[in-house]
Amino acid sequence: MNEDELQRAVGSLPKSIEPPRDLWPGIQARLRNRRNWYWIPLVAAAVLVLVLIARSIQTQPAWDVTNLAGRPLLGTTPLAASGRLRVGDWLQTDDSSRALIAVGHIGQVEVKPGTRLQLVAARRDDHRLALARGGIDATVDAVPRLFFVETPAGTAIDLGCAYTLETDSLGNGRLHVTRGEVEFATGLRSSRVLLGAIIQTRRAIGPGIPYVEDAPGPLVRALVAFDFEQGGARAARNILALARAQDAMSLWHLLQRVDPTLRATVYDRLAALVPPPPGVTRARAIALDSRALAGYWTKIHSIHFRRMILRGVREIDPRTGTTLRHE
Amino acid sequence: MAPPDDLVARAQAGDQTAFRELYRQHVGRVYALCLRLTANSGDAEERTQDVFVRLWDKLRTFRGESAFSSWLHRLAVNVVLNERRTTVRRERRVMPVEDPVNVGGAQHTAPFQVGLSIDLERAIAELPDGAREVFVLYDIEGYAHAEIAELVGIAEGTSKAQLFRARQLLREKLAG
Repeated sequence: MNEDELQRAVGSLPKSIEPPRDLWPGIQARLRNRRNWYWIPLVAAAVLVLVLIARSIQTQPAWDVTNLAGRPLLGTTPLAASGRLRVGDWLQTDDSSRALIAVGHIGQVEVKPGTRLQLVAARRDDHRLALARGGIDATVDAVPRLFFVETPAGTAIDLGCAYTLETDSLGNGRLHVTRGEVEFATGLRSSRVLLGAIIQTRRAIGPGIPYVEDAPGPLVRALVAFDFEQGGARAARNILALARAQDAMSLWHLLQRVDPTLRATVYDRLAALVPPPPGVTRARAIALDSRALAGYWTKIHSIHFRRMILRGVREIDPRTGTTLRHE
Repeated sequence: MAPPDDLVARAQAGDQTAFRELYRQHVGRVYALCLRLTANSGDAEERTQDVFVRLWDKLRTFRGESAFSSWLHRLAVNVVLNERRTTVRRERRVMPVEDPVNVGGAQHTAPFQVGLSIDLERAIAELPDGAREVFVLYDIEGYAHAEIAELVGIAEGTSKAQLFRARQLLREKLAG
């Protein structure tokens, strides 16, 4: 057979061949089944969506709020005996009202009169409020860095503590730690505030240098001048002159903030008040070596806590942390 | 008989009676294609059913930009080729002695031509898969090599080579 014959033969092939049996019943059955199956995923998807919506409503981050006094506002609604503060909600107290917020399962915040704050995040790893103005007393019992309060001057980061945080309508404020330790930070500046210590905060500047509750007034004024009033070297020298051994926490911060030409002077004063621990050298501390600073901080931290905890029980040498013995 | 366009429109609207009429009108052509591409009457029946089930799903996408029969034909080719790609190679092939009457079809009237057609159908069924697909699509169904290359997933040159091979094998078989 040649090519032409093949093509003629191909051309004569039928275009249509009837199947040996009727295929329609099988097609019809499959279409019927498909119609049934068609709805199953749709119904399943709808149920799933409903379940997810219900769960999201149930688990939508929210903290319990209790009215302690007056008529706090939850959003624009007066808070009755209690309510739920959801992410994004604002809570506002007037001059005569107070409220108590349960911070998830890790603590509580008492909202003082004249306060406006917002719940920013309520996740397991990020409990976050924004304090626009007013004051709060926060008590948290959790591992560090789970609870945050944002203010116009920076963020208070819980390190396992209780504290009072205030901010005025200009965004300036004050943090007083009554248990544990708090870090107050902006992107550029950070202060570690120990039990019984205070910092001033300023909008656009951040946290000042922490000082102990019983710090002398002149020392506090010198710190404020240095931190917020461009006091510079003069204020720094005043701080050094006024500092006591129990103000080592302040000098440790000052060391990192003074002009580099003054660091040696600050270090020498700090070392004279609280000798550095083994391994911390003058050169490394002046160079702001992070391990040297951390080592020094550990010693200052330890002495400070010992003093605070044993306050009224035993007198502790603020230079060494040992018990003072009176002859 | 309702006009084809009307049937298609009604079937698109979910009218299964119209869809059955479409089936009746086109099943012979679809089955012929499936039979020649699969070379197995059982597979051809299954693929034909697959094509119409798929047609029911896809019918709403038919916009009338080509003739319905051409559109359906292309759909059928895709169904058969996709099935071949996703399943194991069929073990049971149509053997020449299996059902030559079915393969030959019943629509030819001239006795000589019927005999030749049966021989040719038999020879086509015995072609290697690749050569058979190209031969059926090009010589019987009238697709261009570029279209076949796209449908089968081969190069255009491969399509031409397979066609050459298929024709040569057929000539040898039919000459013998």
